[in-house]
Amino acid sequence: MTNYLDALSVLLLVSAFILMGNKRIGSYIKTFQFQSALVALLTGIIGISSFAQDGRIDVLIICAVVIGIKVLFIPYLLKKTYAKVAYRVEKDFFLNIPILVLICCLMVVFSYFSFAETMGINTGTINNQIVNSFSVILIGLLFMISRKKAIGQIVGFLVIENGIFVTALFATHGMPFIVDMGILMDILVAVIIMGIMVFRIDEKFGSINVDNIKDLRG
Amino acid sequence: MLLVLKNIGEQNNLFLAAVMLYLIAAVFALALMKHHKLCNLVTNTICMAAALIGIAAAILRISTDTILTPVTIFESRITFLFLEIKIDQLSAFFVLCLSVLVLCVSIYSIGYNSHYYQKRNVGFFNFLYASFIMSMLMVIISGNAIFFYLSWEAMSLISYFLVIFESEHEENRRAGRLYIIMTHLGTAFLLIGFMIMFAYTQSFDMFGSSELIPEMAKNLMFICFLIGFGTKAGVIPLHIWLPYAHPAAPSNVSALMSGFMIKTAIYGLIRFVLCYLQVQQVWWGAVILCIGIVSAVLGVAYAIMEHNIKRLLAFHSVENIGIILIGLGVSFIAAAQNNDFLSGLALVAALLHTFNHALFKGGLFLGAGSLQYATHTKDIEKLGGLIHKMPVTAVMVLCFSLAISAIVPFNGFISEWLTYQALFLNINMGMAGQNILSILSIAALALSGALAAACFVKLFGISFLGLPRSDDAAQAKEVPLAMNIGMGILAALCLIIGVFPAVFVKLADQVAGSILGASVVETLQSGFMSATVPLAVSENSIAPAEILAALAVVILMVLLTLRLCFGKLKARKYGTWDCGFESINARMQYTATGFSKPIRIVLSILYRPGRKVVIEKGESDYFPKSVKYQVWTEPIFEKYLYNPVIRVLKSGSEKMICLVQTGSVHVYLLYIFISILALMFYNRVV
Amino acid sequence: MSDMILYFIVQTGFVILAAPLVNGIIKKIKALSQKRTGAPVLQMYYDLFKLFKKTSVVSDVSSWIFRVTPYIVFATAVAAAMIVPVTTLIKPVWNTGDVILLVYILALGRFFMMLAALDTGSTFGGMGASREAMISALIEPSILVSLITVGLIAKSTAVFPIMTFMQTVQNPLIHPVYLMIFCALLIVIIAETSRIPVDDPSTHLELTMVHEAMLLEYSGRSLALMELAAAIKQLVFITLLVNLFLPHDQLIGIHGIAAIGISLLIYLAKVFIAALLIGIVEVNTVKLRLFSIPNLAALSFILSFIGFLQFFAFGG
Repeated sequence: MTNYLDALSVLLLVSAFILMGNKRIGSYIKTFQFQSALVALLTGIIGISSFAQDGRIDVLIICAVVIGIKVLFIPYLLKKTYAKVAYRVEKDFFLNIPILVLICCLMVVFSYFSFAETMGINTGTINNQIVNSFSVILIGLLFMISRKKAIGQIVGFLVIENGIFVTALFATHGMPFIVDMGILMDILVAVIIMGIMVFRIDEKFGSINVDNIKDLRG
Repeated sequence: MLLVLKNIGEQNNLFLAAVMLYLIAAVFALALMKHHKLCNLVTNTICMAAALIGIAAAILRISTDTILTPVTIFESRITFLFLEIKIDQLSAFFVLCLSVLVLCVSIYSIGYNSHYYQKRNVGFFNFLYASFIMSMLMVIISGNAIFFYLSWEAMSLISYFLVIFESEHEENRRAGRLYIIMTHLGTAFLLIGFMIMFAYTQSFDMFGSSELIPEMAKNLMFICFLIGFGTKAGVIPLHIWLPYAHPAAPSNVSALMSGFMIKTAIYGLIRFVLCYLQVQQVWWGAVILCIGIVSAVLGVAYAIMEHNIKRLLAFHSVENIGIILIGLGVSFIAAAQNNDFLSGLALVAALLHTFNHALFKGGLFLGAGSLQYATHTKDIEKLGGLIHKMPVTAVMVLCFSLAISAIVPFNGFISEWLTYQALFLNINMGMAGQNILSILSIAALALSGALAAACFVKLFGISFLGLPRSDDAAQAKEVPLAMNIGMGILAALCLIIGVFPAVFVKLADQVAGSILGASVVETLQSGFMSATVPLAVSENSIAPAEILAALAVVILMVLLTLRLCFGKLKARKYGTWDCGFESINARMQYTATGFSKPIRIVLSILYRPGRKVVIEKGESDYFPKSVKYQVWTEPIFEKYLYNPVIRVLKSGSEKMICLVQTGSVHVYLLYIFISILALMFYNRVV
Repeated sequence: MSDMILYFIVQTGFVILAAPLVNGIIKKIKALSQKRTGAPVLQMYYDLFKLFKKTSVVSDVSSWIFRVTPYIVFATAVAAAMIVPVTTLIKPVWNTGDVILLVYILALGRFFMMLAALDTGSTFGGMGASREAMISALIEPSILVSLITVGLIAKSTAVFPIMTFMQTVQNPLIHPVYLMIFCALLIVIIAETSRIPVDDPSTHLELTMVHEAMLLEYSGRSLALMELAAAIKQLVFITLLVNLFLPHDQLIGIHGIAAIGISLLIYLAKVFIAALLIGIVEVNTVKLRLFSIPNLAALSFILSFIGFLQFFAFGG
């Protein structure tokens, strides 16, 4: 099983890289959907193994919820928002894409550097699953920093959340049920609120550029 | 002379004889100053003889492992002040490297200098030429730090005069100024290094032991040597003199400067850091590795943007020094970790690349000289179609281009392959930083190899292929025979080393073995044909001779099969496809600027290119009278590193002048008085 | 000795003969996906046969470089084919294959191809050569980093030992290191063989062509050699990919000629799958702008680099 989890963690990392290398808002959403599908798959694998080992089904339930919320509902919501605003392609960046991707690479190296000696909660030295998933968090954060449009911010936030969720999953192989559910509900609400915000920002400023929020200061 | 006679029968004498011959050549050059042709012939013939003696002596010295017998050539009553020659296998290897290059360059010079006849002072030029070679030789064979320092200084000064030899051009004088400033900056650091050395060991013996020097001082010495030798080697960011000085000098001198003078810095690093200081810490190697990576990639990246053939080649020297330093860095890292085999392997790679680079870069500069001789321009945008006019030169430049791009049956590939293997072995479990550095070096080597290939396709393709782009190029003639012979020997050596590397790897291995005490060759199960480096598990090996044979066999088989199955090759000559335009001309060809444009755009972060298009409107928008397109790249290091420093220094010293230089003699005497008192105080306290 | 002869025959004859087939398969897949019948799978063989018989037209501006290049390019492709074994069941006496050599021997062919493109003084040639120079420079680091990472695990840089080592790995593609390297190499193959996101093999429009622009002046026998060499190079890379990451030789329990036969059949099936994969990629993507190719190359490099980082955590 470890092999599959390792491979999936690396794929998660790659999906974060693909997201970073993208500038079309449509592909942001698709990439996020793909990443969530990977998360769901991962949860599924851990769920099946925990079911097989000690008959717990809570991880499997979480898997189903993840599919429902992250793979289907949130992307649907985002697509609806996306259809209504005029922006398709992100144009101005703080740094250009190749450099951002290289910085992401450094992030991964830095995560290795940081976690190489840390001991895990479960067994022995922490493995590269944690490193990969933690890199996803960092890349999500960097994504939020580098993108100016509101939808990019939402996607970045969701990627960070995916990273945190997976890190927790790898570290504990199944958090307490209630915690997971709480987090999932939280982001659902957050995304809905942010979706509404995007409409409002668009209405107010005629664009969804987050920089415009600066103007709200007195 | 007396000393030479006294010590006859000893090996060192051969080296001394070579030095003497260069001296004689220099004297003859001055004596025969009036007769340009004779002077040129005599001086270069003597240099060739000296080079042959040097080759013989060096090979003899490398292959016989005798104990060092130092020769003192100057003594004084002060105990540390004496000049001494001491030749170990490392020195001998560099002497070999120098002598081979000098042999070919001297043959070439017989023809090349002919364009100076009756125009310039050939006698003085040859005097400088011979004494330049002598000074480089003395740097290599010097036995103590004082002699080393003096020779080093002589080498720098003489090369300065050679750089400004064509001093009527302002740009050459500027290049000379920049060169002498940078090189003295480096020399100053070397001097500090030697001072520290003397302060702790009370001697300038660079073959002695460095045990008395404390750890911190060793680190300081390493940094001084790195900056000092790095400036001479032209590593980034200390490279700025190199792309100005090499093009300014006459081509045969640039061949020596780029082919060998910058390698004296590599010799210095090996001699002082590896042999003398005995590499104490891993970070020394890591620093050198980093510098190597940066120099290798940026050197070639800047080279691509150049259209002045000699500046282009000068930037390639930066690249190749980077590759040598990558090898050296791995060697230092491994030496600090007491991994003798790897250290030896990497050192062999570095030494072999040093030798190879002397061959192909020397050859390329000679080729550039031939182009300049035939077409009177260094700008490749004005050349084209020369393969028809200068077929022999073209073949040789092609050989050197393939060699420097590390392409298979040539020598550049062999040393890069060894460097790759050293990096491969340098990756072990558990040392993350070192591993990441090594894999990045591998990527850098691959990138620089491919970019070098792109650059030399540009150089060769634009200058030798297609249609001539100017009248000069259209009227070019093949250069004199002597020039082609000189280049031919280098080209042949490039191919021979590339096809039968084992002999040369063994040579380099004996040198590395004498330093590190571990031989790579013992584990090198080589016949004459292959360079085989068997590693921990499996047999990583290449056999270039077999590859070349395979290529030849395949080509023959194809020719034969096609002939048998489909008959004789039928070919018809016709114009190049012109899209029905019917009057294709030289101006429609791709230019060097156009060729390098994709890379300029992709790596724009390095170049910060700018462009200006000026269109003079004609009667209609579609038929402008003239269009001027200008494109330039920004020299980042000069703009963002050197210029600010210079500005600060300048404004600072202007203020200082107002404060310190009062103009009163009494104040100046007071300064001297105070400094003497301070020194006396220091003497008591410390 | 017999092993050596067998190896030579299989590596050269088999690869040369099978190479045009891959092109045929990819073309067929593209045609079928567009609801066309398309040319027969064997079309390239017919084309080559015809071209071999035709008279070449040689530009009068060109030099000997233009005339020798097809032979050199072909010879380097065949030499590369000899380095990459199609089956690990025949032990090569030819002990010279090394991944570094593989890359640099292909560089020899590419060097001459770019020179030949500049030799005729045609603008198209210069354009193709200049673009090829950029693409090859960008893709080279990721080839070497990926292959050397696999080599590090196998503890060798020689191709045959790496391949034999890979036969002992269970399902390499679920292993994160190999997964990353696989993806990186897939991009490399697309770039090296002038396939769609990077270059379009079926176009002759100056805005888009790279490889074809370099061959524009070639005709007759020279063109046939160049085309065949490109096909061989493509098959060599595909072989490297499938034999490293879809190892099958350990599945065959027996030895001897029969095993080799079975192995070759399985190999062909794998090549078919790879061709299918490349065809699908080609159908589903559009050609990138020339200056978006660096992003693809960067992705490939990053994949290989992440693969290398994973290798630490695993300890090979």
